Amino acid sequence: MPVLSVNHLKHVFGSGELAVTALEGIDFAVEEGELMALLGPSGSGKSTLLLCISLILTPTAGSIELGGETVYADGWAHKEARRLRREKIGFIFQGHNLIPFLTARDNIMLSLELNGVGRRQARQRADELLAYLEVSHRADALPGRLSGGEQQRVAIGRALANEPPLILADEPTASLDTERGGRVMDLLKRIARERNSAVIVVTHDERMITGFDTVRRLRDGQFLQTLDREQR
Amino acid sequence: MDLAVKDVRRHLGKFLATIAGVGMLVAIVLIMNGIFQGNIADGIWLIDNTRADLWVVERDRGGPFNESSRIPTDSYRSVAATPGVAQASPFISYAVQREIGGREQQFTIIGYDVFGGLGGPGRIVAGRPIRRAHYELVADQKLGLSLGQRVRLGIHDYTVVGVTRGAVDSGGNPLAYLSLPDAQEVLYQQDNRALDVQRARDRQRLEEAGYLPAEVNRLLPLLGGGSTTISAVLVVLEPGADRAAVTRHIERWLYLSAYTTEQERDLMLEGKLKKMTAILGVFRTLLLIVAIVIIALLIYVLTMEKVRAIATLKIIGAGNSVIVRLILEQALVLTLGSFAFGCALTIATQDKFPRNLVLLPEETLLTFIIMLVGGVVASMTGIWHALRTPPSLALGG
Repeated sequence: MPVLSVNHLKHVFGSGELAVTALEGIDFAVEEGELMALLGPSGSGKSTLLLCISLILTPTAGSIELGGETVYADGWAHKEARRLRREKIGFIFQGHNLIPFLTARDNIMLSLELNGVGRRQARQRADELLAYLEVSHRADALPGRLSGGEQQRVAIGRALANEPPLILADEPTASLDTERGGRVMDLLKRIARERNSAVIVVTHDERMITGFDTVRRLRDGQFLQTLDREQR
Repeated sequence: MDLAVKDVRRHLGKFLATIAGVGMLVAIVLIMNGIFQGNIADGIWLIDNTRADLWVVERDRGGPFNESSRIPTDSYRSVAATPGVAQASPFISYAVQREIGGREQQFTIIGYDVFGGLGGPGRIVAGRPIRRAHYELVADQKLGLSLGQRVRLGIHDYTVVGVTRGAVDSGGNPLAYLSLPDAQEVLYQQDNRALDVQRARDRQRLEEAGYLPAEVNRLLPLLGGGSTTISAVLVVLEPGADRAAVTRHIERWLYLSAYTTEQERDLMLEGKLKKMTAILGVFRTLLLIVAIVIIALLIYVLTMEKVRAIATLKIIGAGNSVIVRLILEQALVLTLGSFAFGCALTIATQDKFPRNLVLLPEETLLTFIIMLVGGVVASMTGIWHALRTPPSLALGG
């Protein structure tokens, strides 16, 4: 069963003469452990698609299934979007978006505690993740004291905390130099392989997508091209 | 995990500075409350302290404090003879500006019958009341005099035998108690030069009226001014005496006015104190509003600073309760901390204030409740904004 299944997705902003179709005819599925890149220029619909998959924006038409559970269907939206996001999706942002007044460890623990994990267990899990991401030595540092690469690793740790089946990464290397960006991408690939999570990476940097299982190109709200590893 | 506490700890210096700033504003509100109540307390303290059943003053005057009143000294004997009167004491109250204790000061001289009469000093914190007919003085500590100190008033020296604290007139000026004859001398005694000038003026008036020199010399001593007036007669009624009947008798037969202590207080509250009380009342209301508005703005700004973090919290699945708690807890900490700081500052500076500050616990509590409710209501704006923050704000650069 696919982790994510998107069918005939359509989203229109505005109405009447001012209506702008941001997405149309979007169909795809992502399997466990699959690493998918979503490429496209500005205005191609990448962000709108990401918002729809993140359960933030209700699509105009079509359906989305997350882990076999229907979350959208032709205008109907699941009422517990926040719970589904918390349990089933891990987010990695372009600007890291760590909570600035929480330490690296607390940022990861917060995600766990929001999901009902006890404090002691959350701390243990956070320390494990920090070790996995090789930032244990920065556990007590506030985000402002971390380098860009360290912040992104902690953000990845937070995304992984609840072991979600789907990880969405929005331009995760945009604020990093090529070397650090490459390391973050390697880490995401490792996560997909080792933890069997489906990872969708939105990016505009083609250099970063080497080794991805699937690459989908968006233009004007429609998939222009879909290539698997062999086709590339 | 308590996000509010984590945020406060992260920005402790900034938060403490904010609390100190708002706390100072709270202190100003509390001090204004204290001045407001102190103004009323000072205004009526002398009336309450006197414990007279009736105040007999110059006819149709609102004296002796709200309006000046001068009646003959011996009128207290006539009042004492009124049926139903147990005791009648002469009393003088007069605001002056004289050099005392080495500096020019405004104060009020109180003259009273030191041998068992009413109107003597209250709130004595050192020394004793006046026990001798002359040259003893009881002064409020605001005058800066110490026990045993000799001070010159008029043409005599007086020894400070007692010191009071908080014995002030309606304007907050300190009181100086003297025996009645001493007070009359200090207030009305003219020096020799002034007497010469007055006598020359009287002589000229008599001569212009056609009196012969021998008649002028005979009449002149009769025109000389004497220490013969007092401000009021303080009355204690006999048990069971009809207050209204005594008042009617005094007004009808002695051609004076008589007020009960309640009426005397009303005269003060509706007269001398009314405008100042109204002004202070408006000021404290405005200050309270300003304090609440500033707390509201601070909470709003604190929320706005965290808007991206709030969006991130939403996107990682935090419920509204987590966000509301974050904002509300900070609003409470800010309000409680500021109020505690303001209270401590007010209490610490209370005695150093030039005016008497009366901090009523129930009024302080009410101010606290108003500020707390105001702070919580104000934080609703921040909460409303936070709950409307789209999670999508966390996406993008």
